Amino acid sequence: MAKKVLTVDDDPDISAFVKTVLEENGYNAVIAKNGETGLSMARKEKPELVILDVLMPKQSGIKMYRELKSDVALKNIPVIILSGIAKRTFLRSQEALTEFGDLPVPEPELYIEKPVEPDELAEAVKSLIGG
Amino acid sequence: MDKNKILFIDDEEAILKVLSISLKSDGYDVVTARSGTEGIALFKKETPGIVLTDLKMPGMDGIEVLKRVKKINTDAEVIVITGHGDMDSAIDALKYGASDFINKPVKDEALKIALERAREKLTIRDTLNSYTMDLENMCEIAIGEVKRKSVFQDKLITSSNDGIVATDEDGVIIIFNPGAERIFGYARIEVIRKMHFQQLYPEAITEEFNSGFRRRRGKKGWGWKEVIIKNKEGSEVPVQFSGTLLYDEETVIGSVGFFQDLREIKRLQQELVNSERLAAIGQTVARLAHYIKNILAGLKGGTYIVNIGLDKNDTDKLKTGWNMVQKNVARVSSLVADLLSYSKEREPEYQNCSPNDIAQDVCELMESKAAENEVEIIREFDRSIRSVSMDPNAIHRSLLNLVSNAIDACIYDLDVTKKKHRIQVKTKLEDNDTISFEVKDNGTGINDEVKAKLFTAFFSTKGGKGTGLGLLVTQKLIQEHGGSIKVASKTGKGSSFQMRLPYRKIS
Repeated sequence: MAKKVLTVDDDPDISAFVKTVLEENGYNAVIAKNGETGLSMARKEKPELVILDVLMPKQSGIKMYRELKSDVALKNIPVIILSGIAKRTFLRSQEALTEFGDLPVPEPELYIEKPVEPDELAEAVKSLIGG
Repeated sequence: MDKNKILFIDDEEAILKVLSISLKSDGYDVVTARSGTEGIALFKKETPGIVLTDLKMPGMDGIEVLKRVKKINTDAEVIVITGHGDMDSAIDALKYGASDFINKPVKDEALKIALERAREKLTIRDTLNSYTMDLENMCEIAIGEVKRKSVFQDKLITSSNDGIVATDEDGVIIIFNPGAERIFGYARIEVIRKMHFQQLYPEAITEEFNSGFRRRRGKKGWGWKEVIIKNKEGSEVPVQFSGTLLYDEETVIGSVGFFQDLREIKRLQQELVNSERLAAIGQTVARLAHYIKNILAGLKGGTYIVNIGLDKNDTDKLKTGWNMVQKNVARVSSLVADLLSYSKEREPEYQNCSPNDIAQDVCELMESKAAENEVEIIREFDRSIRSVSMDPNAIHRSLLNLVSNAIDACIYDLDVTKKKHRIQVKTKLEDNDTISFEVKDNGTGINDEVKAKLFTAFFSTKGGKGTGLGLLVTQKLIQEHGGSIKVASKTGKGSSFQMRLPYRKIS
């Protein structure tokens, strides 16, 4: 049975690309187009990995990441952040939220800045959940 | 010199004795000498104010005594005693500066009068001397003061950083300080008393000064204002000018102009503008690069999926990939079109068209994007609008931009109350042959900070998903069409963009 990976991105191009890369490498890909549906799909589908964009409408990746890592049932799912914004900016936004009283969350397992090559993405997924 | 002391020289001792007693009783201090030589020695020692000397004496005679005394002290009064009928010698004596002469035998009366006169002369000369001295002192003090003031003023004028140019009542330049030399490029000696202010001042100031000179009354001065002067080399120098006419009572006695050099300030301003422009270009390039990078990612992703589709003969993959490629090619075309219309002047191309049809077409084009994001598009078209002559392409592009922005404003609305997102697209026939197109949404709304930058090139709130050209191009198209655009917005409530475009009747 193929391992399930959830991709959360509002850009259908990216979703289609990531989905194809995953399927080509033997994974089962599911797609959500914002943080809100992303979170409910994570609960329902129990994926082994989440690939998450940061800037999205409705609910941003910044918020979804926190909820994911604060949820007892979900926080052990590894996360790859795949985003156009720099890792530094993302980490700073997490620090800022922590300063405003939220509980601290760990750094994501991997951070990839867009654009990503198919091989690089496949390697990254493999390194976290195996083939 | 003692005015009361008399030196009495006579070779006849009897006379010396008798007269000495008589003079002493009159209150004089008397010293006597029996020869000219002895007399001169005593004169040096005792410094008497008056010398009384016999003319005829063995050895040094009275004339010689007179000469020597006068040589030692010209102020000393010398009275000579002459023998009877010796008028020539008396005249000689007067020639050499004797103040008086009396005849032998010496009469008390005559001597007294002569002495009184001599003493008076001495007193008068003393007073005169002290007057002169005072006068000289006072003069010196006054001159010193005037000099000090003049030096002070001179220093004030020469050390002023500003250019100072003063003229006399005819407008001829009489003061031209180093500041003025720096600004105008002329040396003082080329200007002072050689040039008229008309040769230096710009026309506007010359006219005002001249009218001031003619009027004798009225406007006195001019506050600071920026003018351009021409310097010696003929180049233009921006200066801040202020000037005034100088009056003595009602009469113009001259003028003065003050000039502040603005070259350095202008240079710094220019530098600031340049550096801001460079920063703006930097931002622009970075934003464009980011946007193009996104398109490139889409193209690469599409190509990747197409390749997989080809390899596996998978039509679905081929379709998905090819769609991505096409969509991103369209984005590049649209970016290029935006850049071109942003950078080029364009004349509207009037054609017969129906504005409502254009609006309808835009709504249909955006329908799927809106529906995907649960946004409803409501059409409110004014049925009284008929076919008119306008630039349909300009309307289409502008309206498409506004509706697309409105959908984004709904998508990016983080409102948690789950409000139903709606966009109203309204057309309305207005007076003055104008048609209004309004696009109203209930999305995020725009705060004042963003509102101020709405029509700025390459400003976008959509991260890498916007070029920051849409509204700018829209505004340009509307302006080229002779129309206007109005924005109303409230954060959290939504925005309304209304464009008004004039139309021509179909001929």
